[in-house]
Amino acid sequence: MKNYDLITPEGTKDLLFGECMITRRIEKTMMDLFTSYGYSEMITPGLEFFDVFNLNSRYFPQENMYKLTDSKGRLLVMRPDSTMPIARVVATRLRDAMLPLKLCYHQTVYRTEAALKGRSDEIVQAGIELIGSEQKMADLEVISMAAESLKAWGMEFSLEIGHIGIFKELVGRLEATDKEKERIRKLIENKNFPALNDMLDTFGASPVTAALKKLPALFGGEEVFEKAEELIPDDGNIVRLLEELRQIYRSASKLCGGEGNVTVDLGLVNKTDYYTGLIIKGYLQGHGEEVISGGRYDRLISEFGYDVPAIGFAVNINAISKVIEKNGVLPAVPRTDVIVYAEEGCEVAALKAAQELREQGLTVENALFGDIESVREYAKEKKIAKVVVIDGSGEEL
Amino acid sequence: MDKPIRMALTKGRLEKDTVGLLEKLGFDCTAVREKGRKLILPVPDANLEVVLAKANDVITYVEHGVCDMGVVGKDTIMEMKGKFFELVDLGFGRCRFALATKKGTDFYSGYGIKTIATKYPNVARSFFEKKGMDTEIIKIEGSVELAPLLELADGIVDIVETGTTLKENGLEVIEDVAPISARLIANTVSLKMRQQEIEELIKKIEENL
Repeated sequence: MKNYDLITPEGTKDLLFGECMITRRIEKTMMDLFTSYGYSEMITPGLEFFDVFNLNSRYFPQENMYKLTDSKGRLLVMRPDSTMPIARVVATRLRDAMLPLKLCYHQTVYRTEAALKGRSDEIVQAGIELIGSEQKMADLEVISMAAESLKAWGMEFSLEIGHIGIFKELVGRLEATDKEKERIRKLIENKNFPALNDMLDTFGASPVTAALKKLPALFGGEEVFEKAEELIPDDGNIVRLLEELRQIYRSASKLCGGEGNVTVDLGLVNKTDYYTGLIIKGYLQGHGEEVISGGRYDRLISEFGYDVPAIGFAVNINAISKVIEKNGVLPAVPRTDVIVYAEEGCEVAALKAAQELREQGLTVENALFGDIESVREYAKEKKIAKVVVIDGSGEEL
Repeated sequence: MDKPIRMALTKGRLEKDTVGLLEKLGFDCTAVREKGRKLILPVPDANLEVVLAKANDVITYVEHGVCDMGVVGKDTIMEMKGKFFELVDLGFGRCRFALATKKGTDFYSGYGIKTIATKYPNVARSFFEKKGMDTEIIKIEGSVELAPLLELADGIVDIVETGTTLKENGLEVIEDVAPISARLIANTVSLKMRQQEIEELIKKIEENL
């Protein structure tokens, strides 16, 4: 039998020293940001019942979840997402809590990705969930937090917003089966213009099909709203949604204050069952996928039996650390200032002396060698400036 | 000047057709034509950098965003899937996926599970899945036409251009699976971060198809 005792499973990796420090620093920056807005941290289990992720709307394809069974044979998954577990907690233990609830987290999620694609199955995410408010201010708060999350790295970024309602209104007016609607959605998501045009031609020419055809092209800056108004059938609901989004777009631009880029994409139609309103994405120059993803999901928690609106986003910590590593050098691992060597019989005195030095704020190692030459060699290799020898009589430098 | 937009081209015929198209747009592709063994080549007046790769790798590079755009056949897209925008049907590299069997056999007769040989197992699987047909799929790397001749398979799902190879080997197309042509794809972030440049280029391309 082959042993796999020297490698890690595909899609996972060990993080060492500088890599660790970057990850921790990003986590800390994010959590400090979230808590400074009054959000409280929570931790949910790494293992959840499969059922938590197998609601009617099936947001997570079962083939992308790591599954195992508990001692009673019930199906468990390694948490593929943090929002659903938080929705579960909100609908149960926090059901009577005062609203709005402001929650944040940073924890690992697990998803099976296609092999040999350079993707990670284990992703550290930090995120927020704002539960129980439909106020415009709630949307703006979340946007402003997403903008701060992107600004923090001193890199070129882009914050993108969209509104799922526009697509839903349009497609709702099409005489199409659910399957056809899903196919149209997929084609818009992939900005697959050729296939989308072919597909919509089968429904005949109408203002609705014309608007759907153009939807994936409606992305960019403020000009998108004007284009959209021309294209989209003059209709109370859609005009209202567009106007709402335009207000949010303008506020977001002001919040970013000239840093980065705020864009709108009316063709953002991913996870239509999940999102019910505003959609938020964040990009960093040099990373091929979004680093922030979120939006409003007013119906999710009701699937757990508690009807309450919510909005949130998650930041992909691994993606940000990848960009930082790509752009610069790993941070230097902090050096040891002093190494303390104990002569035979002086061990306790040496440990005490080292402790005193630590109390002065120094990083101090105990020498773990039998002779002073090895200690000096080790200190030289690790660039430790000072060797202290405790020999019973006093100190020797 | 901003750093150039990287475009991955599928080596071979699609590469030649794309270079032809870029030249039609008025860009100087001398470096690409006289490439020697180089794999990354500049098209300076378009602020483009052309990367030559195998079809599957074009998708991989674009997905990861190390190339902003790519030209790849619909066949590869159907087989590989992936997360990117499929923006333009370039119209060249036209052919089709088809189901072929030995001439004169009634493929759909009987209740036995059919065996299909193909280089494109995902395409074949989803084609029969839509029909609600359980099939056994065998992946073949070389000339797929051999499999039914050697009686390893009942039929093949493969790319058909003229059908000459099939005919010469006593096979015939019994059903079309999907039309194929070259597609211009883009990384989902690149399209947003470099919208203006990419949209200008696409506009020019669409005007010259």
